[in-house]
Amino acid sequence: MKFTCSTKDIASAVGAASKIVNAHSTVPILSNVLLSAGDDTIRVRATDLELTLEHVFPGEIQEPGSVTVPARLFSGYLGNLSAGIMELSGTPTRASVKCQRSNYDFHALPPDEYPPLPASQKGRSFAVDGKRFREGINATIFAASSEEARGAVLMGTLLEVSGDQITMVATDGYRLAKWQTNLVRSADEEGTIKYIVPSRALAEVARNLGGAEKVEVTALGPAGNQLAFAAAQTSIVVRLVDGQYPNYGQVIPAQFDRSVAVNTSALIAGLRRAELVAGDRASMVKMSVANQQLIITANSDTTGNAYEELEVEQTGDDLTIAFNARYLVEILTHVDAPQIKMEFLGPLSPAAIRPSDEPEGVRQMYVLMPLRQ
Amino acid sequence: MIAHFDLDAFYASVAQRDDASLRGKPLAVSGSSRRAVVLTASYEARPFGVRSAMPLYRARELCSELIVVPPDFPRYREASRACFEIFEAGARAVEGLSLDEAFVEIATDDIDAATAYAQTVRDRIRQEVGLSASAGVSRQKMVAKIACDEAKPDGLKTIAPGTEADYLAPMPAGKLWGVGPKTQARLVSERIERIGQIAALSDTDLFRLFGRWGRELRELARGNDTRPVVSDRETRSVSSETTFEYDVRNLTELRQVLRELAVDVAERLATHHLRGTTIGIKIKRDDFTIVGRQTTVAQPTSEASVIEAAANRCLERVDLSAHAVRLLGVRVASLTEELTEQISMFEHKESPWA
Repeated sequence: MKFTCSTKDIASAVGAASKIVNAHSTVPILSNVLLSAGDDTIRVRATDLELTLEHVFPGEIQEPGSVTVPARLFSGYLGNLSAGIMELSGTPTRASVKCQRSNYDFHALPPDEYPPLPASQKGRSFAVDGKRFREGINATIFAASSEEARGAVLMGTLLEVSGDQITMVATDGYRLAKWQTNLVRSADEEGTIKYIVPSRALAEVARNLGGAEKVEVTALGPAGNQLAFAAAQTSIVVRLVDGQYPNYGQVIPAQFDRSVAVNTSALIAGLRRAELVAGDRASMVKMSVANQQLIITANSDTTGNAYEELEVEQTGDDLTIAFNARYLVEILTHVDAPQIKMEFLGPLSPAAIRPSDEPEGVRQMYVLMPLRQ
Repeated sequence: MIAHFDLDAFYASVAQRDDASLRGKPLAVSGSSRRAVVLTASYEARPFGVRSAMPLYRARELCSELIVVPPDFPRYREASRACFEIFEAGARAVEGLSLDEAFVEIATDDIDAATAYAQTVRDRIRQEVGLSASAGVSRQKMVAKIACDEAKPDGLKTIAPGTEADYLAPMPAGKLWGVGPKTQARLVSERIERIGQIAALSDTDLFRLFGRWGRELRELARGNDTRPVVSDRETRSVSSETTFEYDVRNLTELRQVLRELAVDVAERLATHHLRGTTIGIKIKRDDFTIVGRQTTVAQPTSEASVIEAAANRCLERVDLSAHAVRLLGVRVASLTEELTEQISMFEHKESPWA
């Protein structure tokens, strides 16, 4: 195998691929990326068996073929090359690079041992706007569970496609994020389709495909248990989580009886200050709503007392409710709006948070469970 | 001043408090398996010879009308929490020893003021929690604890400053901290039976009998116990570990031990009314290399099952193929006080998660 390409192209392709590679893998070849040359294009592929990323870039092919190189090492090397042209030739055991006045040989592993691409049988598909999809991913996946012990389902994010709408939901049982927008191209099948996608795979989709105008999403495999996300040069294939996602609709109260509208950045700043004091008490802050004011308090025997006063637009009865400040701040920082609305039912019932004015074409809301004192 | 509090026949008293039909009757709190042991015996059962840690079948032999009730730990925790809150009022530091026992440092040098505090605590526990507590008051920990033991049940005993050595002198040597059955047997063979005799030992005899910690022991015997009450709030982590008699390779066996360690750590967290989010394990291999792994959970926990599950995941991340294990430990850190609880969507009745 032998090809010539731009150092910039290959550096960004290998850089993106190397982020997929599991540094602790016990299977040596999974630490490598696969480079395949043919038809005037070069493909870089990385996989951790759950998630596969492939990136294509142009080049001049002298001899078609494949080589595998250690991902971290090679990406580190490429990252330190200056812009220019390089030549790469590969054998089953060696990858040799010539670039300006540098010559490097990297130990390689036989490319035929590299895991094959996931099943290519295509199922139903739809398309989303890349930039909007990235916003949605960023606004939801943080709420997913990060604890393996609580199961892969809660570590995943639900993608629910129905008609021309996509809904994303993530929850760890304490907070829930829900985000909706319209598809660029509707699903080519009737009814609601649900996929539970590992949240870290969606993070890779946002990172690698977030700039694309259109991301094609296609179910793969005879059982449809894989999902491919593809735009111009990049595709990501992910194995879906097998399981039943909780019926999240049931934890979102249909109605609330009181609410406050409050300046987002003022609330975030107040909560962050109060949380400093509440640190050793499970970050507990109390929020009291009365007389068009929101009072935030926190206290701890070791640090002291916090008191914050904010002007709000209050509707409905007064209320005192306690939250984990960290959870609330995390939600608020994902709402891109100058003012938010918090809705309540009572001190032990779920509260809802949403932007006061929703951005066009997007519906976004969060549910947070309070603390019991 | 230091007060030592101990709730009288704690588990049994909670049961009797909550069920009037059990009051005044010989009662044992115990599990139900064939190998179950008595966790606590009520004072009514004790004249029959029923003691804690005794096999249940033996207790039934001794006392035919013995009533046996299963333990109810959530209730014990709740009662314990209420008592510890009472300890905290007016205390400089509270050091829990178990759910029903604590040292409290009181910010006074006046023995009468300290005694009054202890009496107030006992009264409040009776009125507000419905239980009886015994107390010992002294300048130092060990004497306070011994005095408390003597005051039981439902009593209060104060040892005035300066009289500690005289108080201790006639007591059996086994009452001293650090003198276990083995040491005691050795002492008996040397005709040393009373704490006062240890207080009078020469340096040479001390070293011969107890090795390096002999002098410390003599200080204790002389009524010089300088150990401070360490506040639960200053506890940074709680851990439990065990060294195997034989190096272990068997994963099933390691998991079994991990479970026991998790239960132990959970109990101690409960004792200090703490919960933690960082759960880790420590392994010493047969080549004496030490490896640690840790993980975090989203909600602070003191649940044995959660700690065990997390510890098991840590264990999975250790390569055990090359070496056997000499020592295994479980640790919980990033502790917070058990004052708040994150409500989960899971706990609602009409839970969609069920």
